[in-house]
Amino acid sequence: MLTKLALTGFKNRWRDYLVLFSGLIMSSAIFYMFEALATNHDFLKQNTGISMVGIIFQFGSVLLTIITLVYISYANSFLLSMRKRDYGLFMLVGARKSKIGQLIWLETLLVGVVATVIGIIFGTALTAGISRLLISSMDLTLHHLSAWYLPAAGITLLLYVGLFLLAGLFNLVTLTKTPALKLLHSNDQPNRPRLKPARQLLEIIVGLIAIAIGYWSMAHLDTLQLAGIGIALVTIVLGTYFLFNAIFVWLMVGLKRLPFAQRGLNSFTLSQLSFRIRNYTKMLSIVAMLFALALGAITVGMGFHAQTPKLAASSNAYDMGIVNATTAEKQQVTALKPTTNVTYHFKTDKKAVYYQATEFDQHPFTTINMQGKNQLNFKRKTNDAKQLSKSPASYQLSQLQASQSQNKANVFLSAKDYQKLAQPEHSLTVFATNDVTQHLPALKRLAKVQGQRDHGLVDNMLGGRYGNYVMINGMYSGLEFMGLFLGIAFLAMLASCLMFKILSGADADKHRYAMLDKIGTTHQQLRGAINKEIAVLFILPGIVGVIHVLFGLQMFKFLMVVSPYTGIWLPFVIFAGLYLLYYLLTVTIYRRIVLQ
Amino acid sequence: MTTPIMTVSDLHKTYGKAGTKQYEALKGIDFSVQPGEFVGIMGASGSGKTTLLNMLATLDQPTSGEVTIHQQPITHLKGNQLADFRAKEIGFIFQDFNLLETMTAYENIALPLTLQKVPAKKIRPAVENVATQLGIQDFLTNYPNELSGGQKQRVAAARALINEPAMLFGDEPTGALDSKSARELLDLFTKINHDQNVSILLVTHDPFSASYCQRILFIKDGRIGQELRRGEMNRSDFYQQILDNLGTFEQ
Repeated sequence: MLTKLALTGFKNRWRDYLVLFSGLIMSSAIFYMFEALATNHDFLKQNTGISMVGIIFQFGSVLLTIITLVYISYANSFLLSMRKRDYGLFMLVGARKSKIGQLIWLETLLVGVVATVIGIIFGTALTAGISRLLISSMDLTLHHLSAWYLPAAGITLLLYVGLFLLAGLFNLVTLTKTPALKLLHSNDQPNRPRLKPARQLLEIIVGLIAIAIGYWSMAHLDTLQLAGIGIALVTIVLGTYFLFNAIFVWLMVGLKRLPFAQRGLNSFTLSQLSFRIRNYTKMLSIVAMLFALALGAITVGMGFHAQTPKLAASSNAYDMGIVNATTAEKQQVTALKPTTNVTYHFKTDKKAVYYQATEFDQHPFTTINMQGKNQLNFKRKTNDAKQLSKSPASYQLSQLQASQSQNKANVFLSAKDYQKLAQPEHSLTVFATNDVTQHLPALKRLAKVQGQRDHGLVDNMLGGRYGNYVMINGMYSGLEFMGLFLGIAFLAMLASCLMFKILSGADADKHRYAMLDKIGTTHQQLRGAINKEIAVLFILPGIVGVIHVLFGLQMFKFLMVVSPYTGIWLPFVIFAGLYLLYYLLTVTIYRRIVLQ
Repeated sequence: MTTPIMTVSDLHKTYGKAGTKQYEALKGIDFSVQPGEFVGIMGASGSGKTTLLNMLATLDQPTSGEVTIHQQPITHLKGNQLADFRAKEIGFIFQDFNLLETMTAYENIALPLTLQKVPAKKIRPAVENVATQLGIQDFLTNYPNELSGGQKQRVAAARALINEPAMLFGDEPTGALDSKSARELLDLFTKINHDQNVSILLVTHDPFSASYCQRILFIKDGRIGQELRRGEMNRSDFYQQILDNLGTFEQ
């Protein structure tokens, strides 16, 4: 009978349960996505040359576990608040406490297990979908990536079921220890926002110091090594929390004193925000961290992506060299509208490759000469035959001959001496386009034809920019993929945290909006109030998150050739766009719940 | 005879769609309220008195019939017009106070003014003025959950009155109060009614509350069954008359 009653309660509040379930499913799906990379050692080893990555993932797992812990505690209190009344009613009609305890335990666990299992399936699908999308759109090469990875599923299930067992126990104790009447009338009481200047000042100081330590240690990873990441993780999380805790209260109380608060529904919005201040500070700190992680990961991923063609361009002045190009190939090259397109002739023996000096005097060969330490700091130099024979960069010509003559010396002969050589004559067509990345498919076709002519010649052995691009892309693909994949995962987690927190409070807000409607508030005003309230909850962690990222990018100075801040606007703009979408979605759903 | 502040003519309300099982809650109500009148509507549970109040206060729309307040027909108001009308012309006091528990008493009272974009400078004096009249000037910085039932209801009354509405509606305003607070609130209503000439319409099933009114309409099964006028009678006699009347009316 009670089970039947419990199910009825479930049916009546399906909308709330939908919010609860979708939140939990999203959370477990993302945890699985993360673990699918983190626990897959083959994947990590094969796709990054950097041994630290594995350990960074370990730290990430710890952080995500903490976030999950808070998330589940929120979800659980949401579940509890939904059921309190029902269970109070059951007690009132004389149900035994042990029976009710059983029900609560069962319900919590059931909700948890079902959500986690669906979440893992969903996470697998997401992993497959996102990785396919990233691989094709970013032109990545990855090894050992599998969307379904059993250890990851195991860890996810273990953690979630474990946490829900604890949550069930907690609910059992809370509900059976509380008198029935109190359960029936348990509306959350407002926290009066209090200014405690001394304590809040202390919080601000401690928070700022903690964040400063975190920023400093991220910028000095070269000396601190791994400890730096650990230190940064702890100090920044704590610092963010303290700052939010102190500043949020001050901000709300301060704003209320301004004339601004006396206009329209502003005072209502501020009151709404300060009403659940303590709940929100925890959530906002988490969201700020997730924001920073997501934005940081995407920025780094895109940074590596942007750096690949630059590095490729610094290795050679030409896109590709084709030995004995056919007329068809030459036509294809012309079709690319190359900025340079020259054909040299050569003969070769076991020791050297022989060119005609006159050809190089007529069409000088461009080399890339390094300037100083930074790989991207280079100068182009045009060389005639004499200069090239002396130049240390003449290997760049050899590279373009690919397999023909890799370790042979280049010799430039007069026309007479060249004629004397008995070997058959070959041709080498070298060309450069304005941008390798724009002509990848055409270049790939040309490379393929060469490969067929010259067995065993693969793309990354073609020494020009294209070959280098393929090689470097292979090296960085893993890092790019991890950056973007985790960025998307963290972004989804962030959105689900914020949406969950806001929507789970929507039910309690309903009567407030109904009341405002009764005393003559226009619908524009109500909508405006909702927009503003939720905007504040999105913007505050956004600002903090952006600051964290700007400092956090210091960590990647040592991994990246290009400054991690180059072209930073692009990921920021993309991220802002996605964040705006989440905001609009949240506002729409919230409005639907509240303004019925 | 002056122009009535509110007229109600042939008001019907039927619940349920055509073709399904219908229930007629109001079966043709006619009455009017004069400016400065204190009118009570009495009736048993299910008599239709709350339905009637909801129509009068623009919270629900009648199936047919018309209500005018200040000569303005109100039954077909929509959107912003409706909101503006609620904000400017009428005030509400509910049984369960309907205060926003997230805001202080001051903020609750000021809300109708801030909604009307009244300049910030004018708000504080207005709130303090109404609060003093209602004797809650010392509780303005408290949150509703820090106030007693009577104090809460006075805050609600202050919020209802701050816009100087043409009509004040009360839906069982003393329903959740102890007898002392109820008496104080009713005295307050009488005072406001007398001093500021605010018309009050009170829905109640409590004869004691009703005895404060000048005129009482008894509703039974969706119709006005009877009307009592206090005239020059003192309140305790009127109370007795209401009790007698209820005895016979409900039989």
